[in-house]
Amino acid sequence: MDLFRLAWKNLWRSRRRTLITLAAIGLSVMLVQAFHNLAFGTYARMIDSGVRAGSGHIAIYHEGYVESRDETLSFEPQGLVETVRDLPKVEEALPRLYLPGLAQSSRESRGIMLTGVHPEAERRVNPFIKDLPEDEMVRDLEGRDAVIGQRLLDELKIRQGGKFVITVQSRSGELVSELFRVRGVVETGIKDIDRSLVMVGLDRAAAMNGRPGEISELAVILDEPEADRSVHPLLEKLTADRPHLDVLSWEKAMPNLANAIKLDYASQKVIFAIIVLIVTIGVVNTLLMSVMERFHEFGVILALGASPGKLRRMVLAEALLLGLVAMVFGCVLGTLGTWYLAEVGIDLRTFISEDLEFGGVVFEPVLKAGWDVVWMVQIALYVVFLSVLASLYPAVKAGRIVPAEAMRHF
Amino acid sequence: MALIELKKVNKTYALGSQEVHAVVDLDLMVEEGEFSVLAGPSGSGKTTVLNLVGCLDQPTGGSLRIADRDVGTSTVKALSDFRLNNIGFIFQSYNLIPVLTAAENAEFTLMLQGRERSERRKRVLDIFAELGLEGLANRRPNDLSGGQQQRVAIARALATEPAVILADEPTANLDSKTSEDLLDLMRDLNTEKKVTFLFSSHDPMVIGYGRRVIELKDGHLESDRWKTS
Repeated sequence: MDLFRLAWKNLWRSRRRTLITLAAIGLSVMLVQAFHNLAFGTYARMIDSGVRAGSGHIAIYHEGYVESRDETLSFEPQGLVETVRDLPKVEEALPRLYLPGLAQSSRESRGIMLTGVHPEAERRVNPFIKDLPEDEMVRDLEGRDAVIGQRLLDELKIRQGGKFVITVQSRSGELVSELFRVRGVVETGIKDIDRSLVMVGLDRAAAMNGRPGEISELAVILDEPEADRSVHPLLEKLTADRPHLDVLSWEKAMPNLANAIKLDYASQKVIFAIIVLIVTIGVVNTLLMSVMERFHEFGVILALGASPGKLRRMVLAEALLLGLVAMVFGCVLGTLGTWYLAEVGIDLRTFISEDLEFGGVVFEPVLKAGWDVVWMVQIALYVVFLSVLASLYPAVKAGRIVPAEAMRHF
Repeated sequence: MALIELKKVNKTYALGSQEVHAVVDLDLMVEEGEFSVLAGPSGSGKTTVLNLVGCLDQPTGGSLRIADRDVGTSTVKALSDFRLNNIGFIFQSYNLIPVLTAAENAEFTLMLQGRERSERRKRVLDIFAELGLEGLANRRPNDLSGGQQQRVAIARALATEPAVILADEPTANLDSKTSEDLLDLMRDLNTEKKVTFLFSSHDPMVIGYGRRVIELKDGHLESDRWKTS
């Protein structure tokens, strides 16, 4: 305690210098924490949006489907949908069938992806159609209602309520054509989807495929992303007797999104590392100056009977206190910054005139932070660790002082 | 057994390409209870001898024993411990730690010894009362006069009850009246409490206080005489 009492007094010997150092470290912590949380929140929203419209937090596919997207790799769920839906922490289980096909109107034709869905379950979860009025949604599993993308509607030169034909190749190789009516139109902001999405009832799509009951994907939506740690093993167990089925996390099922986020995180971490390096250099400089200007005093302290080890511990104690105070200051600022970014966010609409895609997901123009408390604690501890690390060289230098020589310095 | 024993002690420094013989073949014994002064002009080796006796430096040759211990070949850590427990220092420019109060400065060596805070504070306040420093415990060195600061330095030196107190030109930065008061105090401590003092000076007034005057010149012992009265 005496050591820390002395260290605390020495810390405020040069009040201005200490305050500047604290401000530098504190602001750096704030920047790293708040902007990491901003990215964390933004990614969380993108992932949430992506998994709900895409593969789900966890998905079950036929082996090889994700790599090839071969429509013949469908499978019979055999009660899996209901069983999975009843698992703890599972919000919903969405069976889907994907069939590449051709959409034709009287005037145009376009390549499309026919998506067979369970309309009620899908509407509860899928952000593409969540806001669709009920009277614009596909009504049942077998009907001829279709929800299509806005661009497709425009390219087919038809209107909502208008008719068009979808042709797919069934499993037996035959071309199967069915007439559908445009019940609803969605604009997801993702060009490829808006140009190719045709959503119909699951049973109708399966019938066109010639394999009633078969699906391409069982997308499992969880109550919270962290639940995948407990649910994934349960799904593995449920499908253990069906080795041709793969249970995949969203990162494996949607590699574009996962890789885009990883790349963005990596570049962020480089920037954070640079910030931290600059701070470390600043702390080393401050502590070294503090040691060098007390050369004579350290000589006296050694002369009075302090061992070199004790003197080194004094310097380390000062650095530890500096780190702790800076950590608290930085965390307060980081918390306030995160709170502001979580509540108000950063509105990029002034800079971005239209929806942007990122990794196959719509990039929301209003960025809002999330709370990655684990990261915040890690950064806080890291700052303290860095302060102590930065003091090692000055401490070693202090311990090497020869008292008789040092006392000749003024 | 003498408290301090120097036998054929040499100290040579390298100054660039030249060697400086700061102390040459010095034989000296200081007994417990002495009030002795190392006298001589600048460069005579006074400070070097004090540094050697204070274990702040080690002789190049010869043997040095303090309180029956050979300190000439000890490790840095061993010398630190020895200084802390056996030697008190009073410096020319007081050398108080500016961020500490007067009491905290005087307690510093007791803190290094690991004594409890309450024990340290009691001891220091008792010493302050003896040295006329009552009421100054919570003042910072910047708020004290030169004489008061040097008294605090004396308190610091006395706190651990060392075998010997070494004072290098203790009155050099003080006016004559304050110098006399300080020297009277040191002499009283020596007389009444048998504290051993070895101090250095080139000032005849200060030298006149010593009961034994050890005169140095160019690192050699020039003379060593006791005062008869």
